[in-house]
Amino acid sequence: MAENHKAAPMVDEVSDFEVLEIAVRELAIEKGLFSAEDHRRFAEFAHSIGPLPAARLVAKAWLDPDFKKLALEDGFTASKEVGIDWLNPTGFGTPSDYCDLRVLENTPAVHHVVVCTLCSCYPRPILGHSPEWYRTPNYRRRLVRWPRQVLAEFGLQIPAEVEVRVEDSNQKCRFMVIPMRPEGTEGWTEDQLTEIVTRDCMLGVALPHPERKLDDKRPVHKAANPVHGH
Amino acid sequence: MTSLGKKTSGSGFTDTDPDFSPISLLEKVRNRGRVWKDLAEKYGVDNPDPPWKINLDSTCEALASEQCTLPVLERRNEEDELSETLYQDVPYPERQLLALVHSMIQRGLIDEDELARRMKFVDKRLNST
Amino acid sequence: MSRGHHAEKATGKGDPQCFTGEAGEPKFKVGDRVRIRNLPDIFYTRCQVYTRGAEGVVTVVTHESPAPEDEAWDNVDDPEWFYIVRFKQKDLWDEYPDAYANDTLQTEFSERWLESV
Repeated sequence: MAENHKAAPMVDEVSDFEVLEIAVRELAIEKGLFSAEDHRRFAEFAHSIGPLPAARLVAKAWLDPDFKKLALEDGFTASKEVGIDWLNPTGFGTPSDYCDLRVLENTPAVHHVVVCTLCSCYPRPILGHSPEWYRTPNYRRRLVRWPRQVLAEFGLQIPAEVEVRVEDSNQKCRFMVIPMRPEGTEGWTEDQLTEIVTRDCMLGVALPHPERKLDDKRPVHKAANPVHGH
Repeated sequence: MTSLGKKTSGSGFTDTDPDFSPISLLEKVRNRGRVWKDLAEKYGVDNPDPPWKINLDSTCEALASEQCTLPVLERRNEEDELSETLYQDVPYPERQLLALVHSMIQRGLIDEDELARRMKFVDKRLNST
Repeated sequence: MSRGHHAEKATGKGDPQCFTGEAGEPKFKVGDRVRIRNLPDIFYTRCQVYTRGAEGVVTVVTHESPAPEDEAWDNVDDPEWFYIVRFKQKDLWDEYPDAYANDTLQTEFSERWLESV
């Protein structure tokens, strides 16, 4: 029976690069360049997934026209209402983040999509770390020129009569999108709405859907030969 | 469009001119080290990033925070330059790591010999049975 | 190491907010039609080549900040106004399909890159 149970593959080998990463980190900590606690918190911040603060910002904007107005005029202040202080997003300061958040609103006539052709500028305090694909030359080079083709590769077809507006984030402004509130969410609470606003919706490569949540259960296939007694 | 390496002296742009010549310890790592792409293929793993990538990013963040030991813009400029020259045949993120360590050694934040000793120590620890 | 001056300036205010009030009056306003200049960029720039020479409309006057061409060399003494400019895709790429003539692209420039049309 046990032979049927196969562990997921893993790299069972230590490379010199891995050793170098650890060695340099340990020396930096010993020399007081930063503390182990600082490092851990940055890593924890980078790993954080789950409903993003930006998702709550969108949900609030859907429910409260005054808040939406604030978000569109002053993203920095609106962020504070969802718990994000751009000056201190990780709790101990990340001067690498520029603080001019611009919130773009999708309408029946305009669909926004965000890219950074020059590197990978991203509204990190409110959206977390950028996904791998956002940093690829494939996305960065092609989105500005063939936006509809690239969106189609994400499974998103925008009707011809809707203006696709690419936002190339090349300076100190950071951008996120308020997608349109989907049908089928009438009467929903802020918490319910927050759950369906996933990261990709706020970059403009996907649309929110009332039945699609970030923490949806993955399909489960029952084991044909379950292992007992372990 | 960046050409940091070709800067003339006396420009007053920065305190030090970056030095992009090879560092022997890092050359050793580059030549001996197995990159994630190859390891992932060999072991049938489909994670696009090595497990140390988040740690590397966090080290870069931590160096840029508070005391601003190594500002982001400087590190990224030097990484860009090194990626196009010295480490152009090293895949990402291995070359991000080499470039970071290069910048740190070059600034005297860590010492090459000291790092070599520490690597031996870490290697022993990770491979202990 | 005295490399922290920039972060110090931004402490408690944020970057680019820390440069507020240092660039004088903005030369352009929302709605102005502008052309992107084709300036030399031997060392460093964040002005994309695909926008050079194109015409667009200012949609947001964003903030004051040193231009990246200066800031890359630690010169933070001459902040400029920044502008988000909207282009018709058709004006950027000749081959952009007519079927999507309404499609646009926005990106940001420091004042030195813009001239009135």
